[in-house]
Amino acid sequence: MTEQTPVQIVREQEKRRLFTSGSSFLKLGVLILFLLVPFLLPSYKTVDLAIKIVIFASLVASFDILLGYTGILSFGHGMFFGIGAYCVAFLLEKYGSPTYLNLILGLLLAAVVAVVLALIISFISLRVKAIFFAMVTLALAELAIVLANKLSHVTGGEDGISISMPGIFSVAFNMGEFMGIDITGRVITYYLILFTCLALFLMMLRFTHSPLGRVLQAIRDNEQRAVALGYKTFIFQTISITFGCLLATLIGGLYAMWVGYVNPESSLEVMAIMLNVLLMVVIGGMGTLYGGIVGAAFLLITQTFLPDLQHLAQNLLPGATLLHNMLERWLLLFGILFILVVIFFPKGVIGSVQDYVSRRKKIIPE
Amino acid sequence: MSHTKTRRWSTELTIMAGAVILLMLPLLGIPVKTYLTLTIAGLAMGMLLFLIASGVSIIFGLMDVLNFAHGALFAWGAYVGFSVFGWLREWVEADSVLQNFGVFLAAILAAMAAVAVLGIILERVIVRRVYGNHLFQILITFGATIVLVELIRVFWGPNDEVMTVPLTFRGSWDIFDIIIAKYRIICIFIGIVVYAVIQLILKKTKLGIIVRAGVENIEMVQAMGHNIFLLFTGVFAVGAGLAALGGLSMSIFSLQVYPDMGSSYLLFAFIVVIIGGLGSVTGSLVGALIVGLSYNYVAYLVPWAAAGVNIIIMIVILLIRPTGLFAAGK
Repeated sequence: MTEQTPVQIVREQEKRRLFTSGSSFLKLGVLILFLLVPFLLPSYKTVDLAIKIVIFASLVASFDILLGYTGILSFGHGMFFGIGAYCVAFLLEKYGSPTYLNLILGLLLAAVVAVVLALIISFISLRVKAIFFAMVTLALAELAIVLANKLSHVTGGEDGISISMPGIFSVAFNMGEFMGIDITGRVITYYLILFTCLALFLMMLRFTHSPLGRVLQAIRDNEQRAVALGYKTFIFQTISITFGCLLATLIGGLYAMWVGYVNPESSLEVMAIMLNVLLMVVIGGMGTLYGGIVGAAFLLITQTFLPDLQHLAQNLLPGATLLHNMLERWLLLFGILFILVVIFFPKGVIGSVQDYVSRRKKIIPE
Repeated sequence: MSHTKTRRWSTELTIMAGAVILLMLPLLGIPVKTYLTLTIAGLAMGMLLFLIASGVSIIFGLMDVLNFAHGALFAWGAYVGFSVFGWLREWVEADSVLQNFGVFLAAILAAMAAVAVLGIILERVIVRRVYGNHLFQILITFGATIVLVELIRVFWGPNDEVMTVPLTFRGSWDIFDIIIAKYRIICIFIGIVVYAVIQLILKKTKLGIIVRAGVENIEMVQAMGHNIFLLFTGVFAVGAGLAALGGLSMSIFSLQVYPDMGSSYLLFAFIVVIIGGLGSVTGSLVGALIVGLSYNYVAYLVPWAAAGVNIIIMIVILLIRPTGLFAAGK
């Protein structure tokens, strides 16, 4: 029998764990939960919430490839998300018609634009220091918002563009009843987005676990050592950025398909989207990919039910004005939470849990 | 030795000649009188941007911290000044130059002091924990921005407010048909004074020598026995104070205050320090003037392109001289 290499041993262990460990069952359970949402809780609010969690979890994972796996902070991720949304809107509505072909063409156009733009940004800003990337992307994202607002004959200005979906994805489509619910265009779109995001997520997992992904992590942990080992860090970082931005753009296209409109405020706003994405990735855990699911679920569920919480607080404690003011300024609470997480749990929820599990395994050997 | 020196001089001369030509270029499309008005507006805007950019630049140069919370400190400065103007309303409205300047000075002092204290708290409580890790610095100062901006909304309300301007600062002079707003001259004056004071401190005092040495090589300064952390806190406070001065002056300039005002000006500050070179005060001044002037010229010539021109300049500079025009020690 031939000797196994360390990588082979690790792979074998991972394969064996796939069917026995609790985390695999957890992942499967989460997936089944999302598959069943339109049947179990068919109200508009919950389905909308569920698909937004899926979309944002994927977006955060694509952001995590940059932040957690490559160690580069981009403020332009919201811009790429918006570019995807606008490209789909252009092809489906503004300069085309709602057909299946145009939907695919729109996503393709978005992908091409994203790759070109990401390459240009990388070439401009990675030459000096990685922190330049944060500043340059912030500036470009701001420019994108201004352009989307000012060039109103192209982008629809502040009003944005409403999108109609083609054929079986359109709101009006109804296939009839199945297991007690109407299979409408919305439900089909839900599954389309869910499966696309699942595919993208698996792609990202594959990317980060590939040899390329390991080199990226080596660069993140110690750039000088990676250079000394002979890796061209610039090329690897550029590949990672391009990949992350490309995925963000596709996810932006999916988002536009779900919400049915794009405007600068909802699809491009650096502060709104970047703020959410940053909160999600930091709370969920950087460098884990799965952190995005936890972060997105936590943040979106809290935001959806916060108004209820406010009403509850007003009914229960009518006198506590300070509490009401605090709840109204929920961003303040999230900001404080964000700082505390960065200081005390820099690995976020998933990272901390992983640490805890592996520590317990070490104490109790099998 | 002398060879390198002449070569350095020749590059500097080329840059200056290029700058003068670029400065005259807009004359092709703008009448002379409008050009002069625009130039003064551009210089004033540049000086105000210098106030916020210099803080970002010094803090980065010395402490290696990219402070994303600088914009929020800028907004806090504007709001503290706004409150002082509110409390001393009679002085603001009074038809007396002395009282007007008195309230202006009071607002400046209050804003700078309050925001410097805020800066000290920020450095001690938050930034200190993440020295040496750029990524976490950006994240944590970004978190601080969220909290500081939300606190503005809690204390002063979420809406835009109109900034009152002391009576003397309103209106403009008309010299040979060239219209010059009074407040712009004051802005230019403030900028020159601040630049002179910073240069004096950096070049002539012991403290300034330590700071400059710190920008060059922080370990060496520490090995010499200087308390580098005290210095860090001090520099952070000074940077915060400059941001407050910038915020207050800018809010009088643009006649309004709003909670998010920091983020757009922080962006200008980043463009300025990328153009000028992170860590260099002179670079910040030159970068700020370039940004201020080009913004005003282009806003007159091609209004819709005004927002993009600075970013294009930044990209060009990054391509031909990635460390900025005046690269500091590192």
